[in-house]
Formats: sequence, structure tokens, C-alpha cells
Amino acid sequence: MFALPALIALPFLGGLAAWLVGLRNGSARLPWLVSLLTLLLEALLLLGVTGMTGGSGWRGHFAMPWIPLFGIDFRLDMDGLSLVMLWLNLAIAVPVLLTSSREIKERPGLYHFLTLATIAGINGVFLSTDLFLFFFFWELMLLPMFGVLLIWGGEHRARATLKFFIFTQGSGLLMLLSILALVFVHVQETGQLTFNYFALAGTGAMSRAAFPIMLGFLIAFAVKLPIVPFHAWAPEVYAEAPNGGTILLAGILGKTGAFGLIRFVFELFPAASAQIAPVVMAFAVVGILYCGWLAVAQDDMKRLVAYSSLSHLGYVVLGIFSGTRVGMEGAVVMMVAHGLSTSAIFLITGFIEERTGTRDMRRLGGLWPAMPQLSAFAMFFACALLGLPGIGDFVGEFLTLLATWHVNHVMAFFAAAGSVLSSIYALTWMLRVFYGPPVFAGEAPLGRPVAGVMWTLGAATVLLLVIGFFPQPLLDLSAPAAPQQIVSLAGGAR
Amino acid sequence: MDSFSFLPNAVLVLCAGSLVQMAAIAIRRNVAQDAVLGLVVLLASLAVILAPTALVLTGTLPLFAPDAWASYTAALVILSAIAIHIMSWRNSVLSDTSVGSEYYLLLTLATLGGVVMSSAIHDVSFFIGLEILSLAMFGLIAFRNARIDAGEAAMKYLVLSGLSSAMLLMGFALTFAETGSLRFLAPVATNAPEPLLASMGVILVLTGMFFKLSAVPFHLWLADVLEGTSIPVAALVAVLSKIGLFAAMVRYFSSINLYVSGPQVDEIVAVAVLSMIGGNLLAVAQTNIKRMLAGSSIAHIGYLLVAFLSPGPFSFASAAFYLAAYAIATLGIFAIIAGVMPQGSYISDWYGMFRRKPVAAFAMSVMLLSLAGIPPSVGFFAKFYIVAAGISAHRVILLLVLIAGSTISLFYYLRLILVMILPRPSDSEAHRQMPPITTPWVGNRALIALLAVATILLGVFPSRLVQSGRQLLDVPPPPGPSASP
Repeated sequence: MFALPALIALPFLGGLAAWLVGLRNGSARLPWLVSLLTLLLEALLLLGVTGMTGGSGWRGHFAMPWIPLFGIDFRLDMDGLSLVMLWLNLAIAVPVLLTSSREIKERPGLYHFLTLATIAGINGVFLSTDLFLFFFFWELMLLPMFGVLLIWGGEHRARATLKFFIFTQGSGLLMLLSILALVFVHVQETGQLTFNYFALAGTGAMSRAAFPIMLGFLIAFAVKLPIVPFHAWAPEVYAEAPNGGTILLAGILGKTGAFGLIRFVFELFPAASAQIAPVVMAFAVVGILYCGWLAVAQDDMKRLVAYSSLSHLGYVVLGIFSGTRVGMEGAVVMMVAHGLSTSAIFLITGFIEERTGTRDMRRLGGLWPAMPQLSAFAMFFACALLGLPGIGDFVGEFLTLLATWHVNHVMAFFAAAGSVLSSIYALTWMLRVFYGPPVFAGEAPLGRPVAGVMWTLGAATVLLLVIGFFPQPLLDLSAPAAPQQIVSLAGGAR
Repeated sequence: MDSFSFLPNAVLVLCAGSLVQMAAIAIRRNVAQDAVLGLVVLLASLAVILAPTALVLTGTLPLFAPDAWASYTAALVILSAIAIHIMSWRNSVLSDTSVGSEYYLLLTLATLGGVVMSSAIHDVSFFIGLEILSLAMFGLIAFRNARIDAGEAAMKYLVLSGLSSAMLLMGFALTFAETGSLRFLAPVATNAPEPLLASMGVILVLTGMFFKLSAVPFHLWLADVLEGTSIPVAALVAVLSKIGLFAAMVRYFSSINLYVSGPQVDEIVAVAVLSMIGGNLLAVAQTNIKRMLAGSSIAHIGYLLVAFLSPGPFSFASAAFYLAAYAIATLGIFAIIAGVMPQGSYISDWYGMFRRKPVAAFAMSVMLLSLAGIPPSVGFFAKFYIVAAGISAHRVILLLVLIAGSTISLFYYLRLILVMILPRPSDSEAHRQMPPITTPWVGNRALIALLAVATILLGVFPSRLVQSGRQLLDVPPPPGPSASP
């Protein structure tokens, strides 16, 4: 079954095509069309994969030897969790590429290539079940992002990019150390050199070295997510990235960290992660409050959303580390809903910045009359941000808080207090940007938003409402499969 | 009991070749012709490496080992020499036709020294190889005779190289006094009648080697020498001589159990840690690209020492792989500098290179990523291999230092990529003229392309190189009575 490798190869090849097409005549139109076509094909492929593979547990499988001397295979497996993440990735790719033609004037083909290559790398991260391959994709997805940040970023992009890369790569090396330590523990116990996730799942939990090994994984994922003491790179990078890059970073790239926490930290080392869970949860609560507090104090819209995004990711961490099924489900819903709503808000702020030339809220105000449709959408997503029932974010927040309550009342109390802060910054954002006396009165070109942006926002609204009212299908679909489960479609021996 | 002495084919060819080159210069001086002759000699020596040894003598001193490790490292040395040969061609250093021919002769001799060292199993043969290499390098470093800093670099190299040779000799002498053997193998301290004397001998040898390898704290000459000399010679200093020395060092220590802590092992551990941290910190602070590469080279010696210190199935195999990865990337960088901007020594000269020379800038980025150890380059797999070796030998502290060092190194490798992507800042250093950008000659372009493709292909499909680098060196049996002179 070549569907899984195709899911990774397709965006990459499509991006390459977009770049080559763009090189020939330099217009932005052709690469845009090519990458739209790529996304369409990817969606069809994903639809096919979703339809063909039913049931629970591991839904798809692909393996071929890669570096046999080390027991390294090109091994991909898909469970419900990876499927949901793949869909989210695709959903977030759409606004990133749709809006690019407005923002990216310079070398559009290259932009499309780098973005699609990032998406391919992220798909690889979600699918690989060989630890070496996973690490390979984990590092690989950052390279194109480096280019996106550096070529199209803001004024202080050099510093921000360097910070981002050094943080993530340095922590990645710690993870490499952990992967190898795990592999050699396995070698000592069974005499077999392999990087197979399923084979290692047995040894990881039992080993005496489980705790330090788990820490290496945890730190790498905590940096990527980011969890609070490791968050220093994030606000600066979010603020300096081009809008498409910010959406990619906040919407999906951070989620690879959460995915890693579930797939590798929690399922490989259940006991060790239960041991460290109170500490991580405490940091998550601190993060919810601290980043919420910082978001309240921002004047820069993009930084406000960046901090609010960091704050909300705290709920994801809480859900995962509560160690309950409810918490895990809540975390997944939260990831999806947060990915959609944050991307939408970044899209809105990006659009406002493009029209007014500023994202400083002290210089904005009264935009509602000038751009009523957009403002209505903004209101909806602000409500999503503050956790209004009926919208996807609420389901996630509620489930994670419920799970946290079972573990620790005090933490649940403080985490819930975070939603007070989110109400404050979300409504302040509305108030300062859209209400009040119009600052840009009489400037007509502010209105009439582009159809593409409106359609994207509309789609995100519908999806968030569906998740908000009928979360059960998503919950059923997204349950991560345990490594011990047998691959039902296994095309070969594991 | 008979003993055999092998003279490796490559040594034979290089010796004969250098005589031919000398004769050619004596007959008629023509730089182009001598350059081609030099290339032919190098290619011939590469071609005969895998052939069975032609010259085997019985009943004489065993001077060379005809094993796989020798062939592998000799091949690396010769391939590096060929790359350096190609990037030297049309270099401004050689525009002076009165001395240009000798450059290629010296290059052949340096290669000879490296090959001799990589296969030496006798103190004398090792020392001869080392001195051939050092003297040839001294000449090459001073080759930019119009530049005052080339003379300074050469003097620095000469003095420190002489000092380290003296230490090596003292170490050999102590070892000889202790064991009565001139076999190029560290004496096992516990077997020696005077353990202190034996370990002092080893430590002196080690110190001499570290000087030549420029490991911290014996590294001070490297940055100055690289800065002062021409670009191809800098590549020679940074790559060729280090491969030869490292190969010899691995052979020298194959008798010692590197996992048991002892004075020698502790010294190597300390030097490895200092090199990884010191080299990277040195590189971070530089504004000159050649000095930065000097720091990076020191750090990579530190990583190699980690592999060296991790006995087990992966130890020498990972070192062999890493040597190849390091050589490819470093030679590539020097080839690009030599081809694109031979006069530009500052990092800030590289601003906007992606716009001015996109292909060269891309190749340069690939090489830098490889040195930084980021996939999909071969440097990533090399670093992975070393970490695997370290983990299997429980060298956790060394590995944490390696990670810290690599994280620091990201800063300066990426900064160079960043500089190449960003446009030139308008205000800073506006007074300084940007050095001219040249188009590399076709051979150099081919070399760069080949190295860049190799970096990526070997990074994605490392199996072949891993296969050829495995089990190169068996631990030799303890020296028998016939091995002593």
C-alpha cells in the first residue's frame, strides 16, 4: 500500500513543480495554481485513505528496509490520531497557500515549494513509526521553515530565525540521544538492533533508564510545543514570520510536539511519564496563566494572538498528562480546534495588517463599519478563543479541565482561571480593533475582503461549530492506537 | 619465524611519481604540464590502492600494515588531495610561473606523507610520514610568498610542528626504553615494568599528535595558519593532514582498552571535551570565514575523539564514516570559497550570495548543514553514527558535551547561511569594498557539484559507505618477539 508514502511525497513533488513552474515566467499565478492542485490531490488521497481504512487501531501500514545494517526501516503506520493530524495539516495548508499570493510578492514559486516541503515533512512526522525516520523528518521539516522565516520574515527575522533553529535543533539532539539510548537498551535486552517503534515499545516501559530517556523526548517536544520554560523562542518567531509562516507554526508545527508527547512520551514510557506528570502539568498551568497575562498586556495584535496560542496549548498538555482517556480526547479536540481558530485569527490579523499597514492596536480602531463581514468573523473567532460553548475550543477546554479535576483540584481551578484571562484579551482585542470611533474613516479600500479569505474563514467557522456540537465522531476517530495493537492491514511481518 | 614487510602500492606510486615530477621540473618548467602530471600521479596512486600489495619483503622490519583501515584512510587522503589539486588550479597563488610547478610536487609529497602515516605500524615509518607531510606543508603554507602573513603562518607552523615532533620523539624514546620495541603501538601500562615511564611515553606521543591534530589546548596555531595561507592549502591543513594523523592515532591506540579509565584515556577525554567546547566557542566569535572553519575543524576533531573513545562495534566504523563526511563537507566549502570568492575572507562578504551566485550558495548551504549535522546531509548520519557509538559505550557525559557543542555550532553555521540569504545591510561596513565574485573554472564547478551531490546522496542512502567503513581495523595481536627490531 503506497498511499502513506504518497501522502508525504505528493506535497513535496507538488511544491517542486510549483517552484519550477514559477522559475520559468516568474508570475505568482502559476505556482499558486499548481500548489492548489497539489492540495486538492492530497485531499483526495487523504479521503481515499480515510475511506478505505476503517475500524480502530492501526489503519495503514508501509515498510521497506532503508539502512539494514542499523535495523532502520522506512516504516510508516497510521492510526486515528495521525489521520486526524493529517487532516488538520491539510486544513491549515489551505489558508497558508491561499493567502500567499497577496503577501508574497517576491519569488512566489520558492515560497510555495518551501511551504509544501514543510507540510510534507510534518506529514512524515505524523506517520513514521521508525524512530530514526521520525527523527529524520522531525529535523527535515524545519529546514524549509528556516527559509520561509528568513526570506519573507519581518525586520528582525535574522535573530528570531536563529533562535528558533537553535532551540529546536538543540533539543532535537537530546531526543536523538534518547532514541539511541532506547535502542541500545533494547539491544542489551534482546540482542536485536532495531529502530522499530513497535519493538521498542516493550522495552521502553520496562527499562530502568526509562526516566532519563523519556526526559530527552519530553524536552524536545516541550520546546516545539512550546511548554513554558522552553517557550522563549516562540513569541518573537511568531511575530517576525510572514503571516503564512505564522499560521503554519502556530497551527500545525507546534502540534507535532503534542503529537510526539502522545505517541512517543506517553505510549513508550507510561510509567515514567506518569511520574513526571504533576511537574509538567504544573508548568502547563503556569503557562496558561503567564502567557494569558502577557497576552492581555500586548499592543501588537500578532503578539497577542501568539501569547494566547501559547496559553491555550497549556490545555493540550494538561489533557495529555492527566493520563486519562477523557483528557487525551480533550487534548486532541483542543489541538484541532485551536489549530483552526488560531489560524483563522492569524488570517484576520494578517488581513488587517495588509489593509491598514499596521498591527499596533493603539493605531487601530473602529474597523467594524469599514469591514463588516470580516469583523463578524473576528467576533466569532474571539468567542472561540474565550471558550464559548458550542464552538470546538470549548469542548477541548472542558474535557481537559474535567480530566485535570480528577487528578488535581487546585490545578483545575487555576487552569480554569485562565479562561477569564482569555475572555479579557479576546474581548479587548475586539474592542480596540473593531469597536470605537473609526480611525480609518473615509478610506474606502478597507472594505470588500477577498473571496478566498472569506471562504476559508467560513469553512473554519463551520468546522468549529461541527466540532462544538458533535464532537463524538472526532473523539472516536482520533483515539491513538496502542503500540501493542496488531496492525490489522499489516502488509508484512513486523 | 618470518616477518613480512609490505610496502603499500600507493606509497610506491607516490614516491615514484614525486621523482618523476621532480625530473619533469628539472627538464622543462611548465606549470600546466606539471599540474597535469601531479594529477596523474594522484589518480594512479588511487587506482592501485585496492590491488594486492606488489612489494612484499620477507625477513625485514614490518613497517606498514596492509589492512583495510590503511586502504580506507589512504583512499580518503588521496581523494582529498585530488580535490585540493582541482581547486588549486588557476588559483592566484600559482600565477607566478617561476615557482608554480613546485606547488604540485609539494602536494604529491604531502599526500605521500599522509598515506605513509595512515598505514605505518613502526615508529620510524610513522615519523618519516609525519615529517614528509609537515615539511611539504611548511612549503605549501609559505607559498603565497608575496603575502607577509603567509610567512608568519609558515613560521608559526614550523616552530610548533618542530616542537610537537620533538615531543613525539621523546615519547617514542621513553616507550623504547620501557618495552625495547619500536612497534607503533601504545605499550599497555599494566604489563610494563615501569608503568609510570610507559604512560609518560604514551602521553608525550599523544601530546605530539594533538599538536598536529590541533585539538584544544594545542590548537592555537590552526586559526592563524588557515588565515595566513591560501585557500587550497588551508583545505590541506584542515582535512588531509588530519585524516592521516587521526588514522595513525587510531592504530597507535588499538592496543589499549579505551574504556578503562587511565592516565592516557583521561587525557583523551579531557582533550575531547575541551576541543568540542573550545573549538565551537572559537568559531562563534570569528568574523573571518577561514578562522571560523578553523574553529569548526577543531570541534570536529573533538567529535571524532568521542567516536575514538567509544570502543565497541561502532567505534572505528563511526570514526571512518565521520572522517569521510567531514572531508566531503570541508573540502566542498573550501572549493566554493576558492572558486567563488578567493579574496573574500570576511563572513560579511557573503551577504546576498543567494542572489548573486544561487548555485554556489546552495552548495555552500548543503555543506554547512552537513557540518552542522542536519538531515538530509551525510553529516547528520555521521553524527548519528558517533552518538550511536557513544551510547553503546555509555559515554553519556561526552555525548552531552557533544550536544552542547553541536548546538553552539549551529549558531555559526546557520549564521553563514543566513548571511547568504539576507541582502547586504546598507549601513554597516559601507566603506569596505566587496571583493569581486569570480566564476569557478569548470573542473572546480564539477568538484563542487560532485561533493554537494555526494553530501545529500550519502545522507539519504548511507548504507554503502557504512558497509565499506565497517570492520576496517581488527585489534592486532600483542607484538611478538619477531616484531621488535
